[in-house]
Amino acid sequence: MTFRIDSDKDCSRAWDAMPWVLQESATQEQREWLKGHLAHCESCRTEFAQQSRLRLAMSLPSDIPVDANDGLRRLLCRLDAPDLQDVRSGARAGSWLNRALVAAVLIQMLGIGALGVQLWSANPSAPYRTLSQAALPAPPGAIRVVPDAAMTLADWNALLHALRLGVVSGPNDVGAYTVAPVDSASTAQHALQRLRATRGIRLAEPIVATP
Amino acid sequence: MNESDADVTDRMLLQRVSMGDRAALAVLYRGYHGRLCRFLSRVTRRADVIDEAINDCFWIAWQKAGSFHGDSRVSTWLMGIAYRCGLKALRQHGDEPFDDDMLPGRLTAAENLDDDRELRDWLAKGLDRLSVDQRVVVELVYGVGHTLDDVAIIMQCPVGTVKARLFHARVKLRNVLPALAGDLPRPQEQASGKQVS
Repeated sequence: MTFRIDSDKDCSRAWDAMPWVLQESATQEQREWLKGHLAHCESCRTEFAQQSRLRLAMSLPSDIPVDANDGLRRLLCRLDAPDLQDVRSGARAGSWLNRALVAAVLIQMLGIGALGVQLWSANPSAPYRTLSQAALPAPPGAIRVVPDAAMTLADWNALLHALRLGVVSGPNDVGAYTVAPVDSASTAQHALQRLRATRGIRLAEPIVATP
Repeated sequence: MNESDADVTDRMLLQRVSMGDRAALAVLYRGYHGRLCRFLSRVTRRADVIDEAINDCFWIAWQKAGSFHGDSRVSTWLMGIAYRCGLKALRQHGDEPFDDDMLPGRLTAAENLDDDRELRDWLAKGLDRLSVDQRVVVELVYGVGHTLDDVAIIMQCPVGTVKARLFHARVKLRNVLPALAGDLPRPQEQASGKQVS
């Protein structure tokens, strides 16, 4: 039994050593040992013979015809030309970048469009006016009013409500408001008199349209 | 010329290549073409793919020659580049099954004057049972004569992985090659090249 185990170990050792003995990179000691083992182990001898044949077959030159001269000529031509593969991959990368940018622009355009539609539908007649545009004409019956600085907002609102007036614009640089009747029931003349009589109103003058 | 002398020559050539010397590149190309051709034939059997992989290999060598620091032999370095180019070509062109009829320059049996034809066929059928990585390891060890460490550098994997691939490849070949030999002469009679000295 012991002999059998030793034999297996030797065969395993021989198996490991065969490639390196065949390619002549094994040590002299390994070669001698393998030679001794093969002398009395038929199984390893057969295996080594097959390994030798394998080595012989592997060392044969390639049977696939590839012309070295033609290959070298094309390689030298390639050195002079930009690498088409690199160019192609660069073009592919550029193409993807362009597509990504176009997609981003389209998404932005869609978003801006949707936002515009939403704002327009929410307040379609927003009275925007730029500084370069001429001032809007004062509504009929408009009065320019300068309340006292000490007048509270509640008093001011109560006064306008009582006279059925609404603020059209203001205050301007000197604190003047433009107010006008909110309905036809109240007359500008009556409102003007009441304003002048009210405590806390420093100035109340009708706005006369420029002829 | 032994391996050491050959590597010294290769290093000189590669240094000249790094300086843009095309004549040195041509010498390297011609010196390695046959070796790389056989090596890549273990990866694919298509001549055009092998040709493309060799071209790519030397194109990279031309560009990277200056970055070779001599950590390995030039042959190991080049084989590593060729291996990766071969795998890349394999990915691009697919792993077409080998078909003898596809080889334009292949000699037919009637006109074959090569005494090694039977040996080639026997080997081809055996290697056909192996994976690409196993074929490459067998080629590098038995065909080129690289050490396990060299093969690990070429294939960019641990030595243990190389050992495992070689072991499994040898086991497969041991199981199939005798049957494939058929009525060929006994291995002892045919393998007249190598014997333990």
